[in-house]
Amino acid sequence: MNTNGKPRVLIIDDEDALRGAVKRILEREGYQVATAENGSRGIELGTREEYDLALIDLKMPDYSGIDVLKEIRRQKPNTVCFIVTAYASYETAVEATKMGADGYILKPFTPEELLNHLTSGYKKRLLILEAEALKHEREERLLEIAFERTRLNTVINSLADGVLVVNTDGEVVYYNNAAMTLLNLHDVVIGRPILEELPAEIREIIFTNFTVNVTEKKSFSVEVELKPKHELVVEATLSPVLRHNGQLSGVVIVLKNISTFKKVEHLKSQFVSMVAHELKAPVAATLGFLNIILNKEMSLTRDQELDFLSRSRHRLASLLNMVNDLLDISRIEMKTITREIRELNLNNIITETLSLFTAEIKKKDLSILYDQEGLQITIRADYSEISRLITNFISNAIKYNKQSGTVDIKCYAEKHYSVFEIADTGIGMRPEEKDKLFSEFYRAKNEFTKDITGTGLGLSIVKRIIDAYSGKIEVESKYTEGTRFRVFIPMDLNEDEINN
Amino acid sequence: MSLIAIIDDDPDILDASSLILKTKGFEVITASNPVDGYKIVKEHKPDLIILDVIMNEPDDGFFLAQKFRREKITTPIIMYTSISKTLGMQFDKSDMVPVDEFVEKPISPEALVAKVLKFVKQPVEN
Repeated sequence: MNTNGKPRVLIIDDEDALRGAVKRILEREGYQVATAENGSRGIELGTREEYDLALIDLKMPDYSGIDVLKEIRRQKPNTVCFIVTAYASYETAVEATKMGADGYILKPFTPEELLNHLTSGYKKRLLILEAEALKHEREERLLEIAFERTRLNTVINSLADGVLVVNTDGEVVYYNNAAMTLLNLHDVVIGRPILEELPAEIREIIFTNFTVNVTEKKSFSVEVELKPKHELVVEATLSPVLRHNGQLSGVVIVLKNISTFKKVEHLKSQFVSMVAHELKAPVAATLGFLNIILNKEMSLTRDQELDFLSRSRHRLASLLNMVNDLLDISRIEMKTITREIRELNLNNIITETLSLFTAEIKKKDLSILYDQEGLQITIRADYSEISRLITNFISNAIKYNKQSGTVDIKCYAEKHYSVFEIADTGIGMRPEEKDKLFSEFYRAKNEFTKDITGTGLGLSIVKRIIDAYSGKIEVESKYTEGTRFRVFIPMDLNEDEINN
Repeated sequence: MSLIAIIDDDPDILDASSLILKTKGFEVITASNPVDGYKIVKEHKPDLIILDVIMNEPDDGFFLAQKFRREKITTPIIMYTSISKTLGMQFDKSDMVPVDEFVEKPISPEALVAKVLKFVKQPVEN
């Protein structure tokens, strides 16, 4: 009968002989026995630890067995207790049972009678323990589920994607904060009809695709522009929630904010169109000329032919420049450029670059103001990039200058920056032109610029180079009077701080 | 004699188109931006306008066409296009795009002349 260790019995009786006899009998049968010679000792032992079984004498000098029983039951409700008495009466039996006694043993008893009582008492005890264990396990599991639920809620609420669950009656049964923010809904109460407040595109999918006869787990996606001009675009994915029997019980709507993606996509296609237009213009012009030259009916003069051919060559040459500029931009953007970071003397690069433009400077009769006696300014950078940057600025200052104008070049240190400054007395810019200055293909267009050629990419390349070195650029300009650029490159840049 | 106005910001396209049409005996006037284009049309009342879509802005050719129509200038308009399709512009004759014909750049003399002859008579060759 004893499966998990010896059953532990507590005998509480003031009769020494009886205690001793019962102890011997039970120990012989494999019980582990403790004894108490009076009621208070009995309460002490019986409440200190939990016994499987307790035999309590009804009449003891200090306490009545009923009081001992009450106390033990109060503190150790799972101990199976028997009242033992020589004075059996109906009343005491009833009272003992009311107080929670599990049995009533009459004195005198034979060892067999005693053992019968204890065997069935112990069976009861085992059942009680099993029930206890089950109850405990169940409580633990409920706790775990509750915990799991909170955890899941926390997870879903911290998602950047919106989650909204709607039942077949169109009532909201679950949502997270992101869903409310994206859909701009407030004070949503679980159980409230929500369909009318959802974007029409989402409603449409629900009405067409999630009818009662849906049995397949198939999702539907739709892009919804919640705020115009790509300011807030979400991708809504709707999936059915099916019951065990396969019936539709609701729809989960997951909302992903794809605004940034859409903006980038838009910028990209804008850029592609712009590039296509810029590339197509010289091709169209050249082909136009060639078509005329080859067309017999046009019967061009030799001079006309030569004019068209040289203009075609000019357009093709600038097309080639543009393609090279585009490749440079793409290399900077894709960060495939291998930079060779060295200590560069800015003054030397400026002198060197100016010498390349001697012919153009002479042709326009420009005065170059460049004080080379000052402090030598060095920067840590890639030679070809800095040289490109300075070339683009000097070339612009010459191209957009007036006949007999000046170009004023300075370089100096200011705070943590090495500064390159270049001012021209050229056509200048209106404020609205200044904003577009660094955009790809932007070229100032006015009566002064008709004959100035360029790819429209020079300053956007410059901007990218400056960005790569965490530098900045300032522009001051007065329309018809001239423009001044200041380029700031931080000193002491570590190699890994340069945007490779 | 039919007068044709060409409005395009690309001087090479202007010259090539002018030459083609002049060779065919048309009279040609040109402008290289929408403002001048508007002026020459108002002043010379051409029989046909050839108008580039993209000049300073990606759609200022369309705006100029709309402006002509608003001012009840009903002169037929042929529009020069290059990449406007990728910008998502509509290419059907409509109130938004009140032009009569499109010519895709680059221009072949035959195609240009064929389109022009839909709107003006072939001048008598000398």
